[in-house]
Amino acid sequence: MKKTLLIALVALTAFCSVFAQAAQEATNDGPVKFSMYYSDNATLPFKENWLTVVEAQKLANAEVDWEIIPIADYSTKVSLALNTQTNAPDVILYQTTTGENASLAMNGAIVPISDYSDWTPNWNAMVEKFGMQDDIETLRLKDGKLYYLPSLTDVPFYDGGLILRQDFLEQYGFDAPKTYDDLYEILKKYKEVNPSSYPLTILAGPRVLYRMTMPAFGLSIGKNGAGGSRVLSWDYSNKQFFAAAVSDEFKAYISFFAKLYAEGLLDPEMADPIDGGIWSRKMATGASMATWAYYDQIGGVEAASEIEGFKLQMYPALAGPAGAHHQQKNRTGSGIMFPAKTAERKDFEQIVRAVDKMFFSEEAALLWCIGKEGVTYNMVDGKVEYTDEIKNSAEGIYKYMQLNYGCGSDVTQMIWVNSREMTKYDENYSQINAAVEAIGDVIQYIPPTPKFDDDSAEEATTLMTPLADAFEVWCDAFLTGKKSIDKDWDAYVAEMQKLGIDKYCALYNANL
Amino acid sequence: MPKVKDTSASSKALNVIIYAVMVFSLLICIIPFIYMVSLSLSSPKAIINNQVRLIPKGINFEAYRQIFTYPNFFRAYGNTIFYTITGTFIALCMTILFAYPLSKTYLKGQKILMKMVIFSMYFAGGLIPNYLLISSLHLTGTRFAMLIPFAINQFNLIIMVNFFKALPQEIEEAALIDGIGYFSILPRIILPLSTAAIATVGLYYAVFFWNDWFNGLIYLNTKQYPVMLFLRNIVNGTMVLGDSSSASTDTATLSISIKSAVIITSTLPIIVLYPFLQKYFVKGLTVGSVKG
Repeated sequence: MKKTLLIALVALTAFCSVFAQAAQEATNDGPVKFSMYYSDNATLPFKENWLTVVEAQKLANAEVDWEIIPIADYSTKVSLALNTQTNAPDVILYQTTTGENASLAMNGAIVPISDYSDWTPNWNAMVEKFGMQDDIETLRLKDGKLYYLPSLTDVPFYDGGLILRQDFLEQYGFDAPKTYDDLYEILKKYKEVNPSSYPLTILAGPRVLYRMTMPAFGLSIGKNGAGGSRVLSWDYSNKQFFAAAVSDEFKAYISFFAKLYAEGLLDPEMADPIDGGIWSRKMATGASMATWAYYDQIGGVEAASEIEGFKLQMYPALAGPAGAHHQQKNRTGSGIMFPAKTAERKDFEQIVRAVDKMFFSEEAALLWCIGKEGVTYNMVDGKVEYTDEIKNSAEGIYKYMQLNYGCGSDVTQMIWVNSREMTKYDENYSQINAAVEAIGDVIQYIPPTPKFDDDSAEEATTLMTPLADAFEVWCDAFLTGKKSIDKDWDAYVAEMQKLGIDKYCALYNANL
Repeated sequence: MPKVKDTSASSKALNVIIYAVMVFSLLICIIPFIYMVSLSLSSPKAIINNQVRLIPKGINFEAYRQIFTYPNFFRAYGNTIFYTITGTFIALCMTILFAYPLSKTYLKGQKILMKMVIFSMYFAGGLIPNYLLISSLHLTGTRFAMLIPFAINQFNLIIMVNFFKALPQEIEEAALIDGIGYFSILPRIILPLSTAAIATVGLYYAVFFWNDWFNGLIYLNTKQYPVMLFLRNIVNGTMVLGDSSSASTDTATLSISIKSAVIITSTLPIIVLYPFLQKYFVKGLTVGSVKG
């Protein structure tokens, strides 16, 4: 009896394994299946039935198991997956190789995708089409390899900037401001008319103001400074870093804003994070009239304001001592990464090819940007014409397309063509962008990331932490007048030098 | 015996002060909550124009509609309820089963076990070792990752142990004499006398499982996420905006009314639970067990 049972069991096991193998082979012709991390933003919650999501999978003959992870916790989840390689997905969206990822890449946790460039023909073609070979070179790590497929932009666009109450400018006969001095005059006039107001306020906190205005003064430092060094900036003419936190550029910059603060022209509450609701309230009620923010935030405030004739307008970047510049932006953005574990899969090549087709092919570029012809738009005389439902939506084309079709999300749209993007915005926005483009070089590139090895990366971090902390404290003190820029500047420079800012700068330049 | 009523002026004054302090404390607790309710029900326009006080203005349910239509919201809510109920049940069973023997000083090795418990309270493994442990137990990606590793919390265990220690030894002796077996003493004698401790510890566990988002984030997959993870994402919406250096998806801000609605949605069920548990706190503490 026992023998019979044993034989039956062995036969069953053998049958099962043969059957499983057959099933495996059968799926080789079917869609390639893989899991993918997606960074989910609460303002644009992911939907598996979005037109783009469904169509992109069809396009690449893929079946994706989407792992939707809230954006606030995305880096934690990705870091755990890459560090432990357990429960990791096959593909990770919305990644770069700065910070921790660089050292993870160098330690073999991420697939060097440049080794498999034959499998990414669409991405290669787009890089060539946009002439971005040099931009891609800067993303290679110390070993000369590329560890992710970045998103590509043909011409970076001016999506946020100085926003002012146009009705106030018209009422008091001001022209559109061209320089920071022009802005000062406008703010001063507003304060004169509305003594209880703080004319300039900032959404989220000082770091937004700093990152958007510092480039016009020839620097970019602080928490959101371009390049992430916190106290160094890139000298665009000499192509190397300089100690911006102790430079004359910073002195001129902070003097200007300290003057605004001292005269009650800059909102003191911006030291606390000002959230979207409070910011809108300040603008809509006239407690403030100027801000730096993104274009698509204007509409909501205009609709909510009860002030008669209330009108907000975004203006091209103001000229400072270093010319008219806005926050730096790269033509490459966050992109797609493969954890090392994925390369062990037999169908790794199919996965890479599917991802390449799904996000970087011409069809995918159109799909993720403007949807599907006949569903979201039609071509009329070679121009994109959106359907009436989209054109007449209350949220505007861009937001409507995002929410209902998944078009235009930073996470999934990998190809950004400026002229195609402009079809989603109003005439006014296109004109501002045209004006910015006419000024030329308003949006500079983000400085290159130094190619640190583990030791120099650690040394840089050790130097950076106290420098960044000291900078934050002094910067706040200068801005709010707790420390005098004239009297205390030398003490500040001495402290920064004691903390090794020159050594830190030399370390950056040595590893370019 | 006639009821003694103190009617002196000083006593009355004291009463007034007591009531005033109580009302003041009550208001401190309740006003922010009412304000949240009011914000969550008001129109964005009224909020932006600073017209909302304690009474909602321009009443609408848009904020709640947005939360409830958030993809997978109800599945996540169901997950959280599951984790809270199952997690609390498992945790209570495990904690009681561990606490009871630890409360017996004559148990061999009791002191060492207790020291080990206290040691692990102060020195934990850290994120990555914990993750690797859970992962090597093949719990990642399963719902058990939310339940099993947190079945015994040292702090709650110590509360339990001390409570059991305080129960008179004589009851157990009497039970033994009356012929009840060793294994029946815990469920039939001790537990009915411990409702206060069980309610307290149970509530601690329930609140923990209800609020827990981090363990869900690191151990689970999307379909198993607790609702707190989504709600946290919504509340953090604008914070992320400040750190983002690019536009498009990150630029649209969520109104304060949605955040308020989130806070109400996430705290209300636990608040509702308190009155039902309150009677156990009082009863449990006053039940006498040994007379004479």
